[in-house]
Amino acid sequence: MANLKKRFEIKARDFVRAGEVSIEVQSLLKTIGFRANDVRRAAVCAYEAEMNVVMHGGDGVLELTVDPKNIVMDFTDDGPGIDNIDLALQEGFSTATPEYREMGFGAGMGLPNIKNHADSLEIHSKKGEGIHLRISFIVSDGP
Amino acid sequence: MTKSLSDLKAVHYIHVNEEVCNGCVLCMKACPTKAIRVKEARVAVIDDGMCIDCGECIRVCPRGALTAIMGKSDMGDLSDHFTSVSASTVLYSQFEEGILPNDILLGLKRMGFSYVHDQTYTNEMFNVAVELFIKEHRKKDDASFPLISPVCPVVVKLIAYRFPSLLKNIPPLMTPREIVARESKLRLAARHDCPETDIKVVHITPCPSKMICIKEPVFQEHSYLDEAVALSNIYEDLKKNIQDVDEDIVLHHSGGIGLGWGMSGGEITGLDLNCLAVPGLQETIRYLEKVEMGLLNNIDYIEFRTCAEGCLGGPYTVADKYQAKHNLQKLIHMFGVEKRVKYSYVKKLYDKGWFFTDKSPISWERKLPQLTSSDISKGIERQNRVEEILRLLPRKECGACGCPDCRTFVEDVVEGKNSLQGCVFWESQKKKLRIGDNKVPAHIREDLPESD
Ligand SMILES: Nc1ncnc2c1ncn2[C@@H]1O[C@H](COP(=O)(O)OP(=O)(O)O)[C@@H](O)[C@H]1O
Ligand SMILES: [Mg+2]
Repeated sequence: MANLKKRFEIKARDFVRAGEVSIEVQSLLKTIGFRANDVRRAAVCAYEAEMNVVMHGGDGVLELTVDPKNIVMDFTDDGPGIDNIDLALQEGFSTATPEYREMGFGAGMGLPNIKNHADSLEIHSKKGEGIHLRISFIVSDGP
Repeated sequence: MTKSLSDLKAVHYIHVNEEVCNGCVLCMKACPTKAIRVKEARVAVIDDGMCIDCGECIRVCPRGALTAIMGKSDMGDLSDHFTSVSASTVLYSQFEEGILPNDILLGLKRMGFSYVHDQTYTNEMFNVAVELFIKEHRKKDDASFPLISPVCPVVVKLIAYRFPSLLKNIPPLMTPREIVARESKLRLAARHDCPETDIKVVHITPCPSKMICIKEPVFQEHSYLDEAVALSNIYEDLKKNIQDVDEDIVLHHSGGIGLGWGMSGGEITGLDLNCLAVPGLQETIRYLEKVEMGLLNNIDYIEFRTCAEGCLGGPYTVADKYQAKHNLQKLIHMFGVEKRVKYSYVKKLYDKGWFFTDKSPISWERKLPQLTSSDISKGIERQNRVEEILRLLPRKECGACGCPDCRTFVEDVVEGKNSLQGCVFWESQKKKLRIGDNKVPAHIREDLPESD
């Protein structure tokens, strides 16, 4: 099966460029010809994960792998990692600083949103060792 | 997949004068949908299936080689028809202080139109219709927000061609200019006891896209307007006719809100909702991307206008856009921001379907090519080839190949519409590549010199 891999770099705390990677992913998936709903789901998740790397993580990378049946996004960063993954997945849980909350972030809905939109979400992380997030989508069947 | 939609688009819109065009890259670089290529370094060619009628190319061309097809340049003999005229509210911003909307409408009447229909009151009615629509929309389970104003035809085309997943965010409401045209026809036909087809309705517009959407409306079976005339074309004539107006018929009925529509933010001033106004083409594209990602779900309604500062930045205006904005602001102040339309009256019309189009925006979606998983497979292969080749180029973004950027050039190469030799750097670039280099795709390796 034809497949495509693409690597995107994400810089921590770069709020000027934050969001650009997910816009690029969205436009690439659209260009390839995935259905609007799959593109949207993937873009929403890419955005949440990208913003988490920018805000909470360290410099990181998104590796996008697609084939006609699957879209997989692997986010890794070398930031502080997540101490308690179950807690981080709870709606409303956030360690965002007051400054970030003022910027409109820190609703604690990012990871729950990813879980809702994606077909699977795996989080591997240990405190002090960064994160590895694997977000996968099964491409919807069409005519 | 950037499919060209040529088959959907019947009307040639922008014309390149081959005698005048010298094949520079300015229009090609300015085009937001990458619809322009410069052929043989000589002349710009527009892919009609990609063009959204924004007019950016017309604006940037230093030689005036690009023009839009227009309605008639002069109004000709108006007496042999019943001709009704309506104007974009931008018209009211184009004259010096002291000339009021009513003077301008009387000036139009003196030019010989049998009927002058002011649009500003309908603008205010349209505001109410949007509020009513949104109230109902909220109750739906699958309602998507924000809704997007259907008023700017370039925005509508941009969405239809580049953001079709957002078609469902455009409410199926008829624009004020179309409502005005429909009502003019109805009333005049009744008054003169003739068929509606005997009535001609002309719209005075600051922008070329209105002309195209009369010939080819996206969300209506047909347009009620018969002709659009560039504001700049009738300006001098109208100005003369305003000078010695001495009648005192009242043709203008709206308050300041209906008058403000010509500038960015004008439409949403009349809405009691959580709204944004986004002017300018690049900003419009950026925000449509955000809407598509669901980042603006908390907003009810967005007024997009692709011209800077809104319609008063249109290519066929006469006054400086900032001066015009100031003029409008003064008019709004003078007429006040109280709404003059009666809610219960508009509600009654709304319930009767008065505001709705006969063709919903979503119906356009069905016209779009449906992609299958083998298309996705091809899309992936195509994208891989693009990336492979793109890596071999120096990415100078010079445009000498006749494509707006290196990526588009390579896409054209992969689609067989151009060849790598078209890149002026390719020969020197080739010398740096080795046959044994397995990063170089096989089909290109064949093309490399045997050894050095
Ligand atoms: N890349 C990351 N590195 C470190 N911590 C993270 C990362 N992503 C998420 N987290 C932790 O998980 C929490 C919940 O994330 P999320 O659900 O996106 O909410 P929010 O970003 O609003 O805080 C964050 O507050 C943070 O403590
Ligand atoms: Mg988050």
